[in-house]
Amino acid sequence: MNYFLQSLKSVFVKDVLIELRSRQVLPTMIVQGMLIVWVLRIASEAVSSAVTVVGPVALWIAFIFSGLLAQERSFAAEHDEGCINGLIVAPIDEGTIYLAKLLVNVVMLSVYELVLTPIVMLAFKLTLSGNIGLFILVLMLGNIGISSVGTLFSAVVQLTRTRGSLLSILVLAILAPMMVPATFALLILFNVIPPELAGTGALAFVGTLKTAISYMAVFDIVFVTACWLLFGFVVKE
Amino acid sequence: MAENAIIAVNEVSKAFTRPVLKKVSLSVDTPQSLFVCGINGAGKSTFLKLLAGLLQPDSGSVFIKGKCLRKETEYVKSKLGIIMHQSMVYPDLTVLENLDFFARLYGVPGRQERIRLLLEQVGLTAFRYDKASVLSRGLLQRLSIARAMVHEPEVMFADEPFTGLDMTSTDYLTAMLSDFRSRGGTVIMTTHDVSQGLRCADRVVVIDQGGIILDRGISQIDPSRFANDYVQYARESA
Repeated sequence: MNYFLQSLKSVFVKDVLIELRSRQVLPTMIVQGMLIVWVLRIASEAVSSAVTVVGPVALWIAFIFSGLLAQERSFAAEHDEGCINGLIVAPIDEGTIYLAKLLVNVVMLSVYELVLTPIVMLAFKLTLSGNIGLFILVLMLGNIGISSVGTLFSAVVQLTRTRGSLLSILVLAILAPMMVPATFALLILFNVIPPELAGTGALAFVGTLKTAISYMAVFDIVFVTACWLLFGFVVKE
Repeated sequence: MAENAIIAVNEVSKAFTRPVLKKVSLSVDTPQSLFVCGINGAGKSTFLKLLAGLLQPDSGSVFIKGKCLRKETEYVKSKLGIIMHQSMVYPDLTVLENLDFFARLYGVPGRQERIRLLLEQVGLTAFRYDKASVLSRGLLQRLSIARAMVHEPEVMFADEPFTGLDMTSTDYLTAMLSDFRSRGGTVIMTTHDVSQGLRCADRVVVIDQGGIILDRGISQIDPSRFANDYVQYARESA
């Protein structure tokens, strides 16, 4: 257990140090996120009633696409000088490498969320009606879901020529089932869907905020476990 | 295959879009330096990657120091070092940080002292605070050697280690591998520079069309004929 934690910490610290030195990912993520938010804000002006609806959607769109940037980079750096081989021949479980990379991507996306969320809330005049703890929980579950799938497929696409574009196709297709409850959870938390209407009528299939959070948690557990178990096969072939 | 062999490869096969290795077997019973050669696409790099655990064989098994690579992976990997033509070090980390990272991964005891000694051995002490990205190709390969040796492995795999090196760096690498060999280590090396390979080797293996067609001690071959056309030589000697 100690050795597992030591290896996990070593890979995590190494990746954070490299990002702090190179500053390749976070600034790009923030610029891209601002651009997405700005374009959606301008577009939502056309229908003034749509502003609050588009806000939570803009948040997830920015998180997903900027998250992909960070995830793509996390393994591209390992392939530059064949470093991934150095990690694979080390006496650590490949799953540990995955968990360390996942942790780095979760931290990067969390920092990004900290920067972007207030901007989106201001730009789209969003007011949090629910519990701030639940809001953070929803963002965190979304973050883990996006990062878990992105981290695995980032390793996969390094073996192909198309890399980034293939990563987007694979990750977006797999994330779709989580993004439905994630979007509705934010719509409920920002009172775009009144809590008393959630889970009724046309919105019955989404259920309540609690159901949406449960869907996201199950998605995270399933995908973190599956990706962790599959990672060894992915990097060796 | 001897159970106590340093390396025992039992009928290993590997195919990608076509078969690359077909039921290859090899045994290394005593510490020695093995030169694996073959034309492009013969399967030597695949063979080395299978031995190092970078690829999984489709069938067959690899034993290192009597332990199965697939079953006792972590133990076996702790005994292996690997050098490739790519340095396998992080350009944004300094020389010291790179070695410290790998020493931590291998759980090296007394790692500060070990790193200090290694830096002296490979002549990188003066460059320890420099980022790997600013090192020349020769210095980078020295760092790569230090990385591979940081945990004091017993078996070293070297895949095309001389690629892109000048004469001085080539001599340095040759000396390091000889020193490793003289301290009881086993080296398995592939290179297209046949004369360089023969200089370092105790034993020569020629791979052709997915199989081993020659496996001889260095004293049992004619070096000049071998260096001239080793595939032809191996076929005639078979």
